Formats: sequence, C-alpha cells, structure tokens
Amino acid sequence: MRKVAIVGIGHSKFGRRTDVDIAELAFESIKGAMQDAKVEKKQIESITLGSAGGWYEESLPAVVVNEYAGFHNVPTMRVEAACASGSAAVRNAYLTVASGESEIAMAVGLEKMTEVDTLTSVELMGRAGSYLWEFENYGMTFPAYYALYAVAHMNRFGTTQEDLARIAVKAHHYGAMNPLAQFQKEITVEKAMGSQMVSWPLKLYDACPITDGSATVILASEDTARKLTDTPIWIKGMGVSSDSANLSKRDDYVGLGATVDAARKAYAASKLTPQDFDVATCHDCFTIAELMAYEDLGFCAKGDGAKMVRNGETEIGGRIPVNVDGGLKAKGHPVGATGVSMMVEVSKQLRGEAGSRQVPLKKGNGLVHNVGGTGHYCYVTVLSRSG
Amino acid sequence: MSAEPPTLHSRRTLNLTFNLPITKTHEFWDGLKEGKFFTTRCKDCGQLSFPPQADCPNCTGSDVEWVDMGTEAELVTFTYVVVTPTSFVENDPYIVAIGRLSNGLKILAWVEGSEVEKLKPGVKLKLEARKTSGGSPYYVFVVAA
Repeated sequence: MRKVAIVGIGHSKFGRRTDVDIAELAFESIKGAMQDAKVEKKQIESITLGSAGGWYEESLPAVVVNEYAGFHNVPTMRVEAACASGSAAVRNAYLTVASGESEIAMAVGLEKMTEVDTLTSVELMGRAGSYLWEFENYGMTFPAYYALYAVAHMNRFGTTQEDLARIAVKAHHYGAMNPLAQFQKEITVEKAMGSQMVSWPLKLYDACPITDGSATVILASEDTARKLTDTPIWIKGMGVSSDSANLSKRDDYVGLGATVDAARKAYAASKLTPQDFDVATCHDCFTIAELMAYEDLGFCAKGDGAKMVRNGETEIGGRIPVNVDGGLKAKGHPVGATGVSMMVEVSKQLRGEAGSRQVPLKKGNGLVHNVGGTGHYCYVTVLSRSG
Repeated sequence: MSAEPPTLHSRRTLNLTFNLPITKTHEFWDGLKEGKFFTTRCKDCGQLSFPPQADCPNCTGSDVEWVDMGTEAELVTFTYVVVTPTSFVENDPYIVAIGRLSNGLKILAWVEGSEVEKLKPGVKLKLEARKTSGGSPYYVFVVAA
C-alpha cells in the first residue's frame, strides 16, 4: 500500500441552509478543496460521496453532485455508514490511492437535513438501529439511544448532568470562534442545565443540532502530494469497526465497543499511542458521547472522563484539546459531512492554519474519531505532519 | 437572520409503510398473542438469541428450536423520551428500558406505569404482553410487585 496525504480541504458554512440545494451545497466545499489543492477537474480520478440521505429529495446524490460540478465518466459511488458516512467516503478515496488505482481522489461529505420538518428528521434518526425491535413499537430516538448510555455511565461512575453541560459550554466556546459553525455564541452551564428535556437525562444543550453542510478533502499519492503542496497531511492509519444493530445486544452501556476496537486498530497502524496527539475531534453527537470517547480512545481510564472535563484537560492548553472547532454540538452535525469536516479541521490544525483556535503543535499528530449511529460504526483516523 | 430564502414546496408526497416478513419467526408473535415469550436456541451450539432468528449467528446453523424465555428481568438502563418522532406524536412521553432476563438475554421495551424517579439499574421488572387497539401484539415491562 502506498502512502496517502490530504492535499486539499474545503468546507461549507454549516447551518440551516435553505438557500442552496444539495448540489450547490456540495459544490461550495468541492470548489474550496480544488482551489486549496490547486488541482483541476481532469486530475481527479475518483469521487466518493458520503451521505446517509433520506431527508432530501434525491435518491442518487453522487451523480447529481457530480453533474452539477461538471465531472463526467468518473468512478463514483455514494457510501453510507450513518453519521460516519464522511469517514467511509474518505476511506474509499484513501484505498483507491493507496492501492495505486488513482493518483488523486476526492471524498465529499454531504447532508441536507432541513428539507423535511424537524420531527421527521427525529423519526429518520430514530430508525437508525433495528427497526422492528426498537422503533416499530417503542419509538426510539437518537437522543434516547445515547440517553441509555448516559444513565448507565452516571450510575456506574458518578458522572453528573453538570459534567455533561460543561462539554456543551466548551463546544459553544470554540464554536463562537469558528465562522463556519452553526452556533457562534457562548452559553453557560446554567443555560445548558435549564434547557428543555429531550430524552432524560439528555437536554436540548446535550444534543447536536439538525444541520445542512458539506466538506471535501482531496487525497494524493506520496509523489503527487509532494509536487502539489509543502504541507501534505498524511493519513497514518485508519481503524474501522462496528457493533450490533440492536442496542439490547451490547455487553455494556458505559462506552462504545466499536470505538475501542477502531482505536486499537488505528494506533496499531500508525504506531502511535493515545499520548501522541496534539489535537482530536471526538464524535460529540451528544455530550455523553464525547465523554465516553475520551475513555474509549484511551485519553483517560474508563470512568475518568468527567475528571478530564472538570480539569479542563480537553481545552486548548490542556493535555489533549478536543473539538476546538465547536464539535458536532456547536459547529453542527450534517450527518454525512461530519467525518470529512473533522478531517478538514484536523488538517487545518496540523498545517497551523486554525487562527485563534490553533492548538500548540508539539508532536504533529491529530486524531479523528467519527461514530455512525449509536456506536454502530466507528472510524478512527490518524493524521500527521510527518510521512 | 432575515426572511427565509425562497423554496419550492414539492407537490409529490411519499408515505412509506412496510410489510415485514415474519414467516421464520411467527412463533414469537403467536406466543405473544397468548401472553407467552418464546425465542430461538440453536440445536447445534446452544446459542440463545433475542430477537429470535432462524439462523444461528454463532455457528451459522439453521436448526433452531423455540424455548420459553420467561418474564423476569432486571433493569440495566433506561430513558424517558420527551421529544418523540413524528409517527409517535399522538403518544404521551414514554419510558424505554433495556432489561436483562434471568437467562442473560436483554430486551428493549417501554416501562409501563412507572416514573423516572422510581427507576434505576437493578430494579426488578416483568415482561407483559399487550395488544394495540388494532390487535397487533407487542410487549412492555412493568415494575415487578
């Protein structure tokens, strides 16, 4: 397998984007990534679109996007791994380059979730599990699935609703510094704690919003990457795993087994440890998800996630800054775009281009943790300044 | 933000309902109508499964038998769903729990007739069969007496 680097990044404004259709929205990040990489259409040999879909009108989003952007006769597909569809798209692009099939490949993450009403979006996400046994009679929702984990974690380790609120406050703090974020305003612990109950004990401010957005990365082989840019960001390893559709089949509810397994594989592939990272994006679809990720990725021991929050260890200046782009919570979570957006953010950080949100670079490594569903899929990607 | 940008409201609507095949697992739903809880056990390797399935996920054997799985359970975790999906908007908020049966299998269902404040992991639960007003069988947990 050949070395592969990210040579171009593009990112749309996230939010309620009723001003654009799916193709126009995707084009914003595609154009940005092509300009960043300084490549032309004819150089892109493969396009993979990550999009869960269902909330917008098109059934074949990949070809709709490609037509709008003027790509013809290009190998393409749309991939689905729920909220990790973006990472799945990057993985496919990565494999086409690593295998030698393509010199340059593009991965686009896209979701347009506000073309249907909010409760229909809630319904579509609630069906993301095992329909007959979880939804048909019991109306599970995405917050409800994660609430099952929150209750178990709080009961086992004494994690509190205030600990979770502090994660939301951190997300909004950095979101306020990110011009592409859906929410760019600070909140307080009191505001988070006083927000509407969604699925006990998770409240509105424990949950990511419903978001439209796109993000794109362009990948290249080592030879091509070195010709295109002085700051290639190398994909040092990807760990991928999965877990049962039915949550009732999980062994425990205080962490995500798919994260533990994907992280183990990513660390092995990159020959790095959890102590070797300057920055991480963790999949914070809910505050409890970010807290469990600290533990499952090995940033702390199981049960110690709340201590990291209380000690500010995941803020800029702390031991391992997490989600300093605002995370899914404040930046927004356009399902299929999120994994690619995480790659864009960590690439920016490792290039030293994150402005007021820049983390100190000591080791030159960043980690992308992207979960699909409620730990149904997990992708952990290790990015690095050194090849 | 100022006024919403202009959009076209699609003229075509799509209402999806599905016919869910239960030929290979009808024993579960038949039993439920009688207030009984059956699931599958692999005759080759002994693997118990819930949800019931005709093919063994452990040894890939397809010779399974139906066994009574009892109704006594212990609460593992739960939540109280306040914001419900669009197809549940007629329902009052509901409590959903995962309970562990004495044989080790776990099941997700509503907890009827209780309150969030009274529940915590370890509480004893009992499975009970129910029918919808349309006659469709389903099941719930109640807190054991």
